Amino acid sequence: MYGGSQNDGNSLFSGGGFMPSQATQTPDSGVSPAKSRGTQGVLPLTVKQISEAFHSSDDKSGFVIDGVDASNVRLLGMVTKKMERVTDVSFTLDDGTGRIDVNRWVNEAAETNEMAAITNGMYVKVNGNLKGFQGKRHVVAFSVRPVTDFNDITNHFLECIHIHLCNTRLQYSAPSSMGGSENDIYNLVLGVFQEPASVASEHGLHVDEVARRLGIPMNKIKDAINYHVDIGHIYSTIDDNHFKSACNG
Amino acid sequence: MDTSSPAVFVNADLLKVYQGRRVRAVVQVARDEGATMVGQSTDGHQLVVKGSPSFPPSHFVEVIGIADGGQSIRAEICTDFGTSFGAQEYNQLCVLANGELKSLFL
Repeated sequence: MYGGSQNDGNSLFSGGGFMPSQATQTPDSGVSPAKSRGTQGVLPLTVKQISEAFHSSDDKSGFVIDGVDASNVRLLGMVTKKMERVTDVSFTLDDGTGRIDVNRWVNEAAETNEMAAITNGMYVKVNGNLKGFQGKRHVVAFSVRPVTDFNDITNHFLECIHIHLCNTRLQYSAPSSMGGSENDIYNLVLGVFQEPASVASEHGLHVDEVARRLGIPMNKIKDAINYHVDIGHIYSTIDDNHFKSACNG
Repeated sequence: MDTSSPAVFVNADLLKVYQGRRVRAVVQVARDEGATMVGQSTDGHQLVVKGSPSFPPSHFVEVIGIADGGQSIRAEICTDFGTSFGAQEYNQLCVLANGELKSLFL
C-alpha cells in the first residue's frame, strides 16, 4: 500500500493535501451502518411469523419479529403462480403456514438462468429483503435456490423454532446483567430440584450433589440456588446445604 | 400475503385433530393401489392417500391435502422426497409445530 503509514492518524491532520486518503476515510466512517446490517444476518422465518410482524414505521422496511430486526429473511416453501417479465420474475411462495409474494430482479444472465430453473410446484429456499408497501408485505429475493435435499424442509422449520426461542429467551433475561447463560444455569439448577427423585427425597438435594450432576462451578450453583430461594421455587431443609423444590412438595 | 389456508404439519396421530382441514404429512409408500396409495406415517401408522399419482415403493412422499377421516388424506399436491429422508426428525417437527410453538405455524 502506498500511503499506509500516512493513513494511520497522519491523514486526520493532513488537511486538503491528501484527497485520496480522505476519500478512503469517508467510506470508512460509513462502515458502521453496513456492519450493523451485517451482524443482523438472515432470519429464518415462517410466513405466519411475517404476517404477525410488527411494522415499526411507514418505512418500506423496519419489521421487527421477536424483538429482532427482520429485514433480511430466509423462507422455504413451494413456488406457485410464477410470472416472468423482462426485468423481474415474481411468484407466490407457499410454505404451508401462509403465502407471500416474492420478487426477483433479473439483470444478469446468471440471475436469469437461476430463475429459469425455478418452476411451479418446486420447493425453494429464498433469501431476501422483507418489504412492506401500502400494507402489503413481500420479499425482494437475493437468491432463489431449489431444495435438493428434502431434509432441508425439516431443518428450516426447526431453525425457525430455534431462532424464535433464542430471541424470545434473550428478552426474558434482558433485565439480568449476564444474559442468557446465567438464565440457563438457573433453569438447569431448578430442573434438577424438580426431578421426581429429588422431589420424593425427604431432605431434598445437597448442593454438592447438584454441582456434581450439572458439572457447573459451585459459586454459580449457589447463585442460582439463592435466586430460587428468594423467589420461592426451592427452600432449605435440614441445613444450609440441603434444598428442596417447593413444587409438589 | 395470505395465511387463511395453512397446511398443518401432521403425523397419523395429529391427523385426527384436523378433520376436513388442509394438512401435510410425509408417508413412506408401502403399496400403490391405483387411485389410492397406502403408506406409513412418520409416527409409524398406516395412512391412506386418495387421488395421488404413483410413486415407487419405500419412497418418502409429502402429501398436501385435506384430512379425510382419521387415517386418510385427499391429496392435492404430492412431492417425492426420495428414499433418504429423516422421518423421525420430521415427526418431531410435527409434534413441535402442534404444541407450544403452534403460533409460528397456525
